[in-house]
Amino acid sequence: MNGSPDLSVQIGGLQLKNPVMPASGTFGYGEEYTDFLDLSRLGAVIVKTITLKPRTGSYPHRSTEVASGFLASIGLQNVGVEHFLREKLPYFDGIDVPLIVNIGGQSVEEYVALATIMNAQRRVNALELNISCPNVSKGGMHFGIDPEVTRELVTRVRAVTEKTVIVKLTPMVSDIRLFAEVCQEAGADSLSLINAPLGMSVDVKTRRSKLGRNMKGGLTGPAIKPLALYLVHQVSKSVDIPVIGIGGISSPEDALEFFIVGASAVQVGTWNFINPRITIEIIQGLHEYLSEHKIRAFRELVGTLL
Amino acid sequence: MMYPVLENKNMSAGCYRLALDISADSRLPLPGQFYNIRCGETKDPLLRRPFSMHRLIKTKGSMRLEILYRVVGKGTEWLSRRKKAQRLDAIGPLGNGFLVPEGVQDVAMVARGIGIAPLYALGEALRTKNLEVNIHVLMGARYADRVFYEEELKKLGEVYLYTDDGSVGYHGRAPQLLLHLLESNRLPRGLDLYACGPIPMLKELAQIAERFTCPGQVALETHMGCGFGACLSCAIPLKAEAIQDREPWQKPALQWSDDGSTVYSLICKDGPVYDILEVDWDEWLA
Repeated sequence: MNGSPDLSVQIGGLQLKNPVMPASGTFGYGEEYTDFLDLSRLGAVIVKTITLKPRTGSYPHRSTEVASGFLASIGLQNVGVEHFLREKLPYFDGIDVPLIVNIGGQSVEEYVALATIMNAQRRVNALELNISCPNVSKGGMHFGIDPEVTRELVTRVRAVTEKTVIVKLTPMVSDIRLFAEVCQEAGADSLSLINAPLGMSVDVKTRRSKLGRNMKGGLTGPAIKPLALYLVHQVSKSVDIPVIGIGGISSPEDALEFFIVGASAVQVGTWNFINPRITIEIIQGLHEYLSEHKIRAFRELVGTLL
Repeated sequence: MMYPVLENKNMSAGCYRLALDISADSRLPLPGQFYNIRCGETKDPLLRRPFSMHRLIKTKGSMRLEILYRVVGKGTEWLSRRKKAQRLDAIGPLGNGFLVPEGVQDVAMVARGIGIAPLYALGEALRTKNLEVNIHVLMGARYADRVFYEEELKKLGEVYLYTDDGSVGYHGRAPQLLLHLLESNRLPRGLDLYACGPIPMLKELAQIAERFTCPGQVALETHMGCGFGACLSCAIPLKAEAIQDREPWQKPALQWSDDGSTVYSLICKDGPVYDILEVDWDEWLA
């Protein structure tokens, strides 16, 4: 086979040089990883969820470890959009990598306002909607567990931006395919899944949650990979837009599993904490796998589950 | 970075001292800084575990980093089985260390159990700076078998032992012992205070520091996801009006609320060492 294998992939309007990116919330604002890797080698960078106002996040005792998993309640701590544009976004000037900004809000209007602001930013290439945020107008119920709220949210964000729109789906629903179809109909360019399912862990000595007053947290890490693979498989069969697989990826083999069940790209989350160079190592591993198996382009693998 | 193990020695029940050869690293740790170490080869345990620098021993052409730890779970149990010449995956040095002041006369170092680890590094640094400094070490635990390291601590200064059950040394907890020593004028008021141990102990020490106008610093510990400021899981509340930025350490990871009334800080970036009056102990413990 001549030349190195083709790892490129198209996600909406984004042309990615490879299908590997970090997951929002595990990669800070990108700059936290510069001691460890060259960001321009990634398929894309996704920064953590940005909200209109700064947020201090959850109470202390935000995290605990469970069997092969990380349980954490961060509560969307972030610097807020104003500070983000002023202090964090300029860091990406001169770094040749697509930048995806994850946004979250407490009302549909907040998402629309954020999407409008980001649409005017040349350096922002795509938006990822975190729809697992509490909806204040619906008593704190998450946007992403009501299909009609999801439809309205995606439709209204779509109306104010030409950027690529990726919707990040929660697994905490009865049938995720319904939500995937709703997002596609409402104009989403791509879907990323899964966001962290919620979990608990209890200290039996004190009979208190190991996450203190937060009680519950998002479960991430290798523990959720089989769940994520199953849902990516289901969703990729029910929509035509590209699906980005997320959940417990820690090796090139894990990423390959996601491609084979139907993901067009992957996001690596918790394993960045354990090995901050894991995204680069996965890209290298994919090259090796494709060369070894004489596969010219990684896209040939996508959705080939027998 | 992968560092070779030079030694992994059982010091007392459940306590070990690990020595790593960090000669190949250009960055040297300062007292109070930490390393985040991979404690396993599988996915369980999952995350790295943070360990403070205990000692840094420079010999001709080599640099030996020592870490003192107690076996408390799967990660430290795995660590305790590492042997000489095996290699460990560690990220560091990380975080902000202690401010080591000039010209101090009297210092109290207050530890409970394994909390002595970073204080020892500080004690050695203080001694290097000023041979005349009086170092008073308050060291203890729940009961006698948990008290360890007495001989090593005597090299630093005067040692005052305490136990909750009175089985060795002063019968009581560290804050009570410190109060007793200050009130009986066995320790001078206004001495410099350094502490590491459980949060309720540190909270009580903060009250004593305020009452006796003792400048104080604490080394904190909590669960960490990454150790380098990306996961935001080691956040603690600080008192907005008490925050200090003192050279050479800065706090790059403070997150203020929009109205400026609340501020959270990441232990891995802004700490693990804080001024004793900076931390909002009540909110942390609520």
